[in-house]
Amino acid sequence: MIIAEQKPLDEILEMISGVEKLLVLGCRGCVAVCSTGGDKEVGVLASALRLGRKKAGKPIEIDEATYVRQCDPEYLEPLKEDGEKYDAVLSMACGVGVNFIADRCPDVNVLPALNTTFYGANLSSGEWAEMCAGCGACVLHLTGGLCPVARCAKSLSNGPCGGSVGGRCEINPDVPCIWHQICEKLTGRKQDQLLREIVPIRDWRPSGHGGPRRRIREDLLP
Amino acid sequence: MNNNHQIGRIAAFCCNYTASVATDTLREAGLIPESLDVKKLPCTGRIEVRVLLDAFEQGAEAVFVAGCRADECHNLSGSRRAEKRVGYTKKLLKELGIDPDRIEMFFVHYGETQPVVEAVREMTARISKLERLHST
Repeated sequence: MIIAEQKPLDEILEMISGVEKLLVLGCRGCVAVCSTGGDKEVGVLASALRLGRKKAGKPIEIDEATYVRQCDPEYLEPLKEDGEKYDAVLSMACGVGVNFIADRCPDVNVLPALNTTFYGANLSSGEWAEMCAGCGACVLHLTGGLCPVARCAKSLSNGPCGGSVGGRCEINPDVPCIWHQICEKLTGRKQDQLLREIVPIRDWRPSGHGGPRRRIREDLLP
Repeated sequence: MNNNHQIGRIAAFCCNYTASVATDTLREAGLIPESLDVKKLPCTGRIEVRVLLDAFEQGAEAVFVAGCRADECHNLSGSRRAEKRVGYTKKLLKELGIDPDRIEMFFVHYGETQPVVEAVREMTARISKLERLHST
Protein backbone atom coordinates (compact mmCIF):
# COMPACT_ATOMS: atom_id res chain seq x y z
CA MET A 1 0.00 0.00 0.00
CA ILE A 2 0.98 3.65 -0.25
CA ILE A 3 2.42 4.84 3.06
CA ALA A 4 2.13 8.44 4.14
CA GLU A 5 2.64 10.48 7.26
CA GLN A 6 1.00 13.62 8.49
CA LYS A 7 2.81 16.89 7.99
CA PRO A 8 3.83 18.74 11.16
CA LEU A 9 0.89 20.68 12.61
CA ASP A 10 2.71 24.02 12.40
CA GLU A 11 3.21 23.47 8.65
CA ILE A 12 -0.48 22.71 8.19
CA LEU A 13 -1.52 25.67 10.35
CA GLU A 14 0.69 27.93 8.25
CA MET A 15 -0.87 26.47 5.09
CA ILE A 16 -4.39 27.30 6.29
CA SER A 17 -3.53 30.61 7.92
CA GLY A 18 -6.01 32.61 5.84
CA VAL A 19 -8.70 29.95 5.81
CA GLU A 20 -11.92 30.49 7.78
CA LYS A 21 -13.95 27.52 6.57
CA LEU A 22 -12.14 24.25 5.97
CA LEU A 23 -13.04 20.73 4.95
CA VAL A 24 -10.71 18.03 6.27
CA LEU A 25 -11.15 15.23 3.77
CA GLY A 26 -9.94 11.70 4.52
CA CYS A 27 -9.58 8.69 2.26
CA ARG A 28 -10.53 5.10 3.15
CA GLY A 29 -7.86 3.65 0.85
CA CYS A 30 -4.20 3.04 1.67
CA VAL A 31 -3.87 5.99 4.04
CA ALA A 32 -6.68 4.67 6.22
CA VAL A 33 -4.98 1.27 6.39
CA CYS A 34 -1.66 2.86 7.38
CA SER A 35 -3.47 4.95 10.04
CA THR A 36 -2.67 8.31 8.51
CA GLY A 37 -5.71 9.60 6.64
CA GLY A 38 -8.82 7.58 7.53
CA ASP A 39 -11.87 8.58 9.57
CA LYS A 40 -10.05 8.49 12.91
CA GLU A 41 -7.16 10.62 11.71
CA VAL A 42 -9.54 13.14 10.14
CA GLY A 43 -11.17 13.58 13.54
CA VAL A 44 -7.86 13.99 15.35
CA LEU A 45 -6.47 16.48 12.84
CA ALA A 46 -9.67 18.54 12.73
CA SER A 47 -9.75 18.71 16.52
CA ALA A 48 -6.07 19.63 16.72
CA LEU A 49 -6.45 22.37 14.11
CA ARG A 50 -9.49 23.84 15.86
CA LEU A 51 -7.53 23.84 19.10
CA GLY A 52 -4.47 25.41 17.46
CA ARG A 53 -6.49 28.15 15.79
CA LYS A 54 -8.48 28.85 18.95
CA LYS A 55 -5.23 29.23 20.86
CA ALA A 56 -3.97 31.64 18.19
CA GLY A 57 -7.17 33.69 18.60
CA LYS A 58 -8.36 32.86 15.10
CA PRO A 59 -11.13 30.26 15.46
CA ILE A 60 -11.85 28.22 12.36
CA GLU A 61 -14.91 26.37 11.13
CA ILE A 62 -14.00 22.84 10.14
CA ASP A 63 -16.16 20.13 8.60
CA GLU A 64 -15.00 16.54 8.34
CA ALA A 65 -15.61 13.93 5.66
CA THR A 66 -13.97 10.77 4.39
CA TYR A 67 -14.36 9.44 0.87
CA VAL A 68 -14.06 5.79 -0.14
CA ARG A 69 -11.11 6.78 -2.31
CA GLN A 70 -9.78 10.06 -3.62
CA CYS A 71 -8.11 8.42 -6.63
CA ASP A 72 -11.26 7.38 -8.53
CA PRO A 73 -13.35 9.98 -10.35
CA GLU A 74 -16.77 8.76 -9.23
CA TYR A 75 -15.98 9.37 -5.57
CA LEU A 76 -14.85 12.93 -6.27
CA GLU A 77 -18.06 13.96 -8.03
CA PRO A 78 -19.72 15.44 -4.89
CA LEU A 79 -16.61 17.50 -4.18
CA LYS A 80 -16.98 19.50 -7.39
CA GLU A 81 -19.92 21.36 -5.82
CA ASP A 82 -19.41 20.75 -2.11
CA GLY A 83 -15.76 21.79 -2.22
CA GLU A 84 -16.63 25.30 -3.37
CA LYS A 85 -18.37 25.96 -0.04
CA TYR A 86 -14.97 25.95 1.66
CA ASP A 87 -12.01 28.29 1.55
CA ALA A 88 -9.88 25.16 1.30
CA VAL A 89 -10.08 21.37 1.29
CA LEU A 90 -7.32 19.76 3.33
CA SER A 91 -6.84 16.34 1.78
CA MET A 92 -5.61 13.52 3.98
CA ALA A 93 -5.11 11.28 0.94
CA CYS A 94 -1.75 10.49 -0.59
CA GLY A 95 -0.40 12.83 -3.24
CA VAL A 96 -2.44 10.97 -5.85
CA GLY A 97 -5.66 12.09 -4.19
CA VAL A 98 -4.51 15.70 -3.89
CA ASN A 99 -3.47 15.77 -7.56
CA PHE A 100 -6.68 14.13 -8.69
CA ILE A 101 -8.81 16.65 -6.79
CA ALA A 102 -6.74 19.47 -8.34
CA ASP A 103 -7.33 17.96 -11.80
CA ARG A 104 -11.00 17.08 -11.43
CA CYS A 105 -12.24 19.87 -9.18
CA PRO A 106 -10.41 22.95 -10.53
CA ASP A 107 -12.46 25.38 -8.46
CA VAL A 108 -11.51 23.68 -5.21
CA ASN A 109 -8.52 24.99 -3.27
CA VAL A 110 -6.99 21.65 -2.30
CA LEU A 111 -4.11 21.43 0.19
CA PRO A 112 -2.06 18.42 1.32
CA ALA A 113 -2.15 17.31 4.95
CA LEU A 114 0.25 14.41 4.39
CA ASN A 115 3.68 13.68 3.06
CA THR A 116 3.46 10.63 0.80
CA THR A 117 6.47 8.52 1.56
CA PHE A 118 6.69 5.04 0.03
CA TYR A 119 5.07 1.75 -1.01
CA GLY A 120 5.32 -0.44 2.01
CA ALA A 121 4.13 -3.32 4.11
CA ASN A 122 2.78 -3.36 7.66
CA LEU A 123 5.45 -5.06 9.80
CA SER A 124 3.44 -4.81 13.00
CA SER A 125 0.91 -2.45 14.51
CA GLY A 126 2.33 1.03 13.98
CA GLU A 127 5.32 0.00 11.87
CA TRP A 128 5.71 0.07 8.09
CA ALA A 129 8.67 -0.58 5.82
CA GLU A 130 9.41 0.18 2.18
CA MET A 131 9.19 -2.89 -0.05
CA CYS A 132 8.71 -1.55 -3.58
CA ALA A 133 9.93 1.49 -5.48
CA GLY A 134 7.40 1.27 -8.30
CA CYS A 135 10.31 1.23 -10.74
CA GLY A 136 8.26 -0.25 -13.55
CA ALA A 137 10.74 -3.06 -14.36
CA CYS A 138 10.39 -5.75 -11.72
CA VAL A 139 13.38 -8.07 -11.18
CA LEU A 140 12.03 -10.00 -8.21
CA HIS A 141 12.19 -13.30 -10.12
CA LEU A 142 15.98 -12.90 -10.15
CA THR A 143 16.37 -11.91 -6.52
CA GLY A 144 14.34 -14.37 -4.50
CA GLY A 145 11.43 -11.93 -4.27
CA LEU A 146 13.50 -9.32 -2.42
CA CYS A 147 13.73 -5.94 -4.10
CA PRO A 148 17.21 -4.46 -4.57
CA VAL A 149 15.77 -1.26 -6.01
CA ALA A 150 13.64 -0.34 -2.99
CA ARG A 151 15.50 -2.11 -0.21
CA CYS A 152 19.15 -1.44 -1.12
CA ALA A 153 20.23 2.09 -0.17
CA LYS A 154 22.16 2.25 -3.47
CA SER A 155 19.55 0.41 -5.54
CA LEU A 156 22.32 -1.86 -6.81
CA SER A 157 21.49 -4.30 -9.58
CA ASN A 158 24.61 -6.36 -8.86
CA GLY A 159 25.22 -6.47 -5.15
CA PRO A 160 26.22 -6.51 -2.45
CA CYS A 161 28.48 -3.48 -2.38
CA GLY A 162 31.71 -3.64 -0.42
CA GLY A 163 30.31 -1.81 2.56
CA SER A 164 27.88 -4.18 4.20
CA VAL A 165 29.12 -5.59 7.51
CA GLY A 166 27.64 -8.59 9.27
CA GLY A 167 24.64 -8.53 6.97
CA ARG A 168 23.84 -4.90 7.83
CA CYS A 169 23.77 -1.91 5.47
CA GLU A 170 26.69 0.52 5.71
CA ILE A 171 24.37 3.48 5.16
CA ASN A 172 22.18 2.53 8.11
CA PRO A 173 23.23 -0.43 10.29
CA ASP A 174 19.64 -0.73 11.55
CA VAL A 175 18.68 -1.92 8.08
CA PRO A 176 19.57 -5.40 6.88
CA CYS A 177 21.64 -5.53 3.68
CA ILE A 178 19.08 -6.78 1.21
CA TRP A 179 21.80 -8.12 -1.09
CA HIS A 180 23.15 -10.17 1.79
CA GLN A 181 19.67 -11.62 2.21
CA ILE A 182 19.31 -12.21 -1.53
CA CYS A 183 22.61 -14.11 -1.60
CA GLU A 184 21.66 -16.20 1.44
CA LYS A 185 18.26 -17.01 0.01
CA LEU A 186 19.39 -17.90 -3.52
CA THR A 187 22.32 -19.94 -2.22
CA GLY A 188 20.03 -21.81 0.16
CA ARG A 189 17.69 -22.61 -2.72
CA LYS A 190 20.63 -23.66 -4.90
CA GLN A 191 19.79 -20.83 -7.31
CA ASP A 192 23.16 -19.15 -6.88
CA GLN A 193 23.77 -19.26 -10.64
CA LEU A 194 21.47 -16.22 -10.70
CA LEU A 195 24.05 -14.35 -8.65
CA ARG A 196 26.79 -14.99 -11.20
CA GLU A 197 24.84 -13.34 -14.01
CA ILE A 198 25.80 -9.71 -14.50
CA VAL A 199 22.62 -7.66 -14.73
CA PRO A 200 23.01 -4.85 -17.29
CA ILE A 201 22.68 -1.19 -16.36
CA ARG A 202 19.07 -0.54 -15.45
CA ASP A 203 16.86 1.41 -17.81
CA TRP A 204 15.27 3.93 -15.46
CA ARG A 205 12.78 5.27 -17.97
CA PRO A 206 9.94 2.97 -16.79
CA SER A 207 10.53 4.24 -13.23
CA GLY A 208 9.33 7.71 -14.08
CA HIS A 209 12.59 9.21 -15.24
CA GLY A 210 11.00 9.29 -18.69
CA GLY A 211 8.22 11.55 -17.44
CA PRO A 212 4.81 10.85 -15.85
CA ARG A 213 3.69 7.30 -16.46
CA ARG A 214 0.36 6.15 -17.80
CA ARG A 215 -1.16 2.74 -18.23
CA ILE A 216 -3.89 1.97 -20.73
CA ARG A 217 -5.87 -1.23 -20.98
CA GLU A 218 -7.76 -1.05 -24.24
CA ASP A 219 -10.44 -3.60 -23.31
CA LEU A 220 -11.54 -1.54 -20.32
CA LEU A 221 -11.68 1.84 -22.03
CA PRO A 222 -15.19 3.32 -22.35
CA MET B 1 -19.68 22.01 31.87
CA ASN B 2 -18.41 23.38 35.13
CA ASN B 3 -17.82 27.09 35.38
CA ASN B 4 -15.26 27.17 38.13
CA HIS B 5 -12.90 29.61 36.45
CA GLN B 6 -10.61 30.02 39.40
CA ILE B 7 -9.30 26.49 39.22
CA GLY B 8 -10.06 25.72 35.59
CA ARG B 9 -11.89 22.63 34.53
CA ILE B 10 -10.10 19.30 34.64
CA ALA B 11 -11.47 16.39 32.62
CA ALA B 12 -10.78 12.93 34.02
CA PHE B 13 -11.30 9.75 32.04
CA CYS B 14 -11.50 6.90 34.51
CA CYS B 15 -11.53 3.15 34.24
CA ASN B 16 -14.86 1.77 35.41
CA TYR B 17 -13.21 -0.96 37.48
CA THR B 18 -10.66 1.02 39.43
CA ALA B 19 -10.40 4.79 39.21
CA SER B 20 -14.17 5.31 38.83
CA VAL B 21 -14.76 3.40 42.06
CA ALA B 22 -12.33 5.77 43.72
CA THR B 23 -14.00 8.88 42.29
CA ASP B 24 -17.44 7.62 43.42
CA THR B 25 -16.11 7.11 46.94
CA LEU B 26 -14.46 10.50 46.95
CA ARG B 27 -17.55 12.23 45.57
CA GLU B 28 -19.71 10.68 48.31
CA ALA B 29 -17.22 12.03 50.82
CA GLY B 30 -17.42 15.46 49.18
CA LEU B 31 -13.77 15.31 48.25
CA ILE B 32 -14.13 15.76 44.49
CA PRO B 33 -13.78 19.40 43.47
CA GLU B 34 -16.50 20.91 41.32
CA SER B 35 -13.92 21.65 38.69
CA LEU B 36 -13.39 17.94 38.03
CA ASP B 37 -15.45 16.44 35.23
CA VAL B 38 -15.29 12.66 35.57
CA LYS B 39 -16.10 10.45 32.60
CA LYS B 40 -16.26 6.70 33.16
CA LEU B 41 -14.98 4.29 30.55
CA PRO B 42 -15.45 0.49 30.44
CA CYS B 43 -11.68 0.41 29.98
CA THR B 44 -9.21 3.24 29.46
CA GLY B 45 -7.91 1.26 26.47
CA ARG B 46 -11.06 2.52 24.74
CA ILE B 47 -9.92 6.13 24.93
CA GLU B 48 -9.18 7.78 21.60
CA VAL B 49 -6.79 10.66 20.94
CA ARG B 50 -9.66 12.61 19.46
CA VAL B 51 -11.67 12.34 22.67
CA LEU B 52 -8.72 13.69 24.65
CA LEU B 53 -8.31 16.62 22.24
CA ASP B 54 -12.06 17.23 22.27
CA ALA B 55 -11.92 17.62 26.05
CA PHE B 56 -9.46 20.49 25.60
CA GLU B 57 -11.57 21.93 22.79
CA GLN B 58 -14.59 21.86 25.08
CA GLY B 59 -12.89 23.92 27.72
CA ALA B 60 -10.71 21.69 29.86
CA GLU B 61 -7.54 23.30 31.16
CA ALA B 62 -6.11 19.86 31.95
CA VAL B 63 -7.01 16.27 31.19
CA PHE B 64 -5.99 13.04 32.85
CA VAL B 65 -6.67 9.40 32.29
CA ALA B 66 -6.74 7.09 35.30
CA GLY B 67 -6.59 3.40 34.57
CA CYS B 68 -5.63 0.14 36.19
CA ARG B 69 -2.03 -0.45 37.13
CA ALA B 70 -0.30 -1.81 34.06
CA ASP B 71 -0.08 -5.36 35.43
CA GLU B 72 -3.65 -5.37 36.76
CA CYS B 73 -5.70 -4.27 33.76
CA HIS B 74 -8.91 -6.30 33.43
CA ASN B 75 -8.41 -6.20 29.68
CA LEU B 76 -4.70 -7.03 29.94
CA SER B 77 -3.28 -4.10 27.99
CA GLY B 78 -6.00 -1.44 28.18
CA SER B 79 -4.22 1.01 30.46
CA ARG B 80 -0.95 0.58 28.56
CA ARG B 81 -2.78 1.47 25.35
CA ALA B 82 -4.28 4.49 27.07
CA GLU B 83 -0.80 5.55 28.20
CA LYS B 84 0.40 5.47 24.59
CA ARG B 85 -2.56 7.56 23.44
CA VAL B 86 -1.91 10.07 26.17
CA GLY B 87 1.71 10.14 24.96
CA TYR B 88 0.60 10.81 21.38
CA THR B 89 -1.72 13.56 22.57
CA LYS B 90 1.19 15.14 24.46
CA LYS B 91 3.12 15.18 21.18
CA LEU B 92 0.25 16.91 19.36
CA LEU B 93 -0.17 19.48 22.13
CA LYS B 94 3.53 20.25 21.99
CA GLU B 95 3.29 20.75 18.22
CA LEU B 96 0.44 23.19 18.85
CA GLY B 97 2.52 25.12 21.37
CA ILE B 98 0.37 23.90 24.27
CA ASP B 99 2.20 22.60 27.36
CA PRO B 100 2.09 18.77 27.18
CA ASP B 101 1.97 18.66 30.99
CA ARG B 102 -1.68 19.58 30.66
CA ILE B 103 -2.39 15.91 30.05
CA GLU B 104 -1.21 12.90 32.05
CA MET B 105 -1.79 9.20 32.60
CA PHE B 106 -2.18 7.82 36.12
CA PHE B 107 -2.30 4.20 37.23
CA VAL B 108 -4.56 3.26 40.10
CA HIS B 109 -4.78 0.05 42.11
CA TYR B 110 -8.32 -1.26 42.63
CA GLY B 111 -9.83 0.13 45.83
CA GLU B 112 -7.29 2.94 46.27
CA THR B 113 -8.62 6.48 46.45
CA GLN B 114 -5.42 8.33 47.31
CA PRO B 115 -3.87 8.11 43.80
CA VAL B 116 -6.97 9.78 42.35
CA VAL B 117 -6.79 12.58 44.93
CA GLU B 118 -3.11 12.98 44.11
CA ALA B 119 -3.85 13.03 40.39
CA VAL B 120 -6.36 15.86 40.84
CA ARG B 121 -3.91 17.75 43.07
CA GLU B 122 -1.09 17.23 40.58
CA MET B 123 -3.08 18.47 37.59
CA THR B 124 -4.47 21.40 39.57
CA ALA B 125 -0.94 22.36 40.59
CA ARG B 126 0.27 22.11 37.01
CA ILE B 127 -2.41 24.33 35.49
CA SER B 128 -2.12 26.86 38.31
CA LYS B 129 1.41 27.54 37.05
CA LEU B 130 0.32 27.94 33.42
CA GLU B 131 -1.54 30.64 31.56
CA ARG B 132 -5.21 29.89 30.96
CA LEU B 133 -5.81 27.94 27.78
CA HIS B 134 -9.36 29.19 27.51
CA SER B 135 -10.58 32.70 28.13
CA THR B 136 -12.98 32.98 31.05
